[in-house]
Amino acid sequence: MKRWGLWFLGLVAVIVVAAAAFFFLPHRLDAVASPGPAAGPDLIARGEYVAQAADCAACHSVPGGKPFAGGLPFTLGFGTIYAPNITPDKETGIGTWSDAEFVRAMRHGVGKAGEDLYPAFPYAAYALMSDEDILAVKAYLSSLTPVRAQAPANDLKFPFNQRYLMRAWKLLFLPGERMTPDPSHPPEWNRGAYLVEALGHCGECHTPRNALFALDQERKFAGAEAAGWKAYNISSDKQTGIGDWTDRQLTDYLSKGHAEGRGSASGSMAEVVDHSLRHLTPEDIRAMVAYLRTVPPQTSDLAAAINPNPPAAKAPSPYAPPPDENTRETVGLKLFQGACASCHGWNGEGLQHSHAGLAGSQSVNDPKGTNALNVILHGARMDTPDGEVFMPGFAAGYTDVEIAAVTNYVLGHFGGKQAAVSPADVAAARR
Amino acid sequence: MITLNVNGETHRVDVPPDMPLLWVLRDVVGLNGTKFGCGIAQCGACTVHLDGKPVRSCILPVASVGARAVTTVEAVGQSPSGKKIQEAWLALEVVQCGYCQSGQVMSAAALLARNPNPSDADIDAAMAGNICRCGTYSRIRAAIKQASQA
Repeated sequence: MKRWGLWFLGLVAVIVVAAAAFFFLPHRLDAVASPGPAAGPDLIARGEYVAQAADCAACHSVPGGKPFAGGLPFTLGFGTIYAPNITPDKETGIGTWSDAEFVRAMRHGVGKAGEDLYPAFPYAAYALMSDEDILAVKAYLSSLTPVRAQAPANDLKFPFNQRYLMRAWKLLFLPGERMTPDPSHPPEWNRGAYLVEALGHCGECHTPRNALFALDQERKFAGAEAAGWKAYNISSDKQTGIGDWTDRQLTDYLSKGHAEGRGSASGSMAEVVDHSLRHLTPEDIRAMVAYLRTVPPQTSDLAAAINPNPPAAKAPSPYAPPPDENTRETVGLKLFQGACASCHGWNGEGLQHSHAGLAGSQSVNDPKGTNALNVILHGARMDTPDGEVFMPGFAAGYTDVEIAAVTNYVLGHFGGKQAAVSPADVAAARR
Repeated sequence: MITLNVNGETHRVDVPPDMPLLWVLRDVVGLNGTKFGCGIAQCGACTVHLDGKPVRSCILPVASVGARAVTTVEAVGQSPSGKKIQEAWLALEVVQCGYCQSGQVMSAAALLARNPNPSDADIDAAMAGNICRCGTYSRIRAAIKQASQA
């Protein structure tokens, strides 16, 4: 018996030592090749393009702040993480980082001091990037004017504030290899896969997460909720995904933030179009579409099927609702008449600008009205080739009862949905 | 340089593409009849026509106008519906302080052009986005009715 006890103790000791080594041994720092002959302005220009495709600015800037100076809070169930400053400031940014350290951060989620980074930084996607692209991004960021701005310290509850635990997460979910072209698909598809999976990290919002906050790749692009917004199903499902969208609609939506008959991007997706997608070449947008077409269909209850024949379709013109609606004179209709109709019109095509066209958009077809409510409260904006298009937020001007009424009217009129957004929902969405 | 067709005249203006049309009309072209109210498309004071359709010029980037014809209150009287509306406005003395009225006239003229005989509900639907702090709404409705019979 005694001998078995010793064996057992020995086994425990080995496990403890192995676990300690796994969690606490310093990370390796692999040498990286120099960027090579493409250095200089060409490398910086390439890095700018890659940084746009990877949408670094969206998280590493605060609205109205200096680009890449960090500080954006990510409020999670267990605390708040702040995006760091990635301008080349030596004290508060990444001015003293070596190329090897930068590549290690992007590929392994490890900071300059060897600390483990939280996967709010989507290194599980960036791990798929090529060394050349990562170093181009570094060259671009290094070319920026340093901004002195210390991001606030993270405020996380125990045990989430124990960074070494991320090593277990990485062991489970971090891809070990970068992306290699799949020879069974044409180069355009492979470029699209790289843009969507490695750079664009679309799945970070559009793929549901598992219990450990990792992406559930079995349900790729089935849609998920993030930060109070719905990121809809973008798999090839015809009912609730993008399977029924035309190529033109997909390329328009990605490159301009609006597709006729599909509505406009808003919230985080409008930011993605603004910071990232509208800067991509038409070839790259087409490549993304080619790849997205082949993502297996997932059904989703996040977005209801688009109603092709809502009451809006019966409106005789952009200028008046159908007579049966007009004579009922509900609160929602009256509010829409006064505050919304002069830009959106009544028939879904948009009156002020094509981006105001609501016909066919997922947001007005979602009976819960999650995104529609956010837009009505907080407004929307986007830069287009014509200049800025925007909608003001109405949170300050109307009561919860009024906002609920106009939201339900919009979902009924443009989506044909019997919606039941309540004043309590509005109060919650005001944040 | 952006080329604009305003009230039948061609203007070449050297302005940033995202400047709102209202700024261009007032400060560059020099047509001050169109008014700035809220700046967020909520009051209707800045309404002008693009190819006869009412739009809010305060949030319309000038680059998105393109080749469409801009009509402002200075020239709306040259169209049959605009002439009828302006005559009815004078006959009924609709105006009180007047600040919102160029926008009211533009929305009413566009309504009458597409619907020569609007019902009360049609008028409400078309005019609800034009706000009047003096409360001239009942005279506005009566004037549109009178214009529709003229």
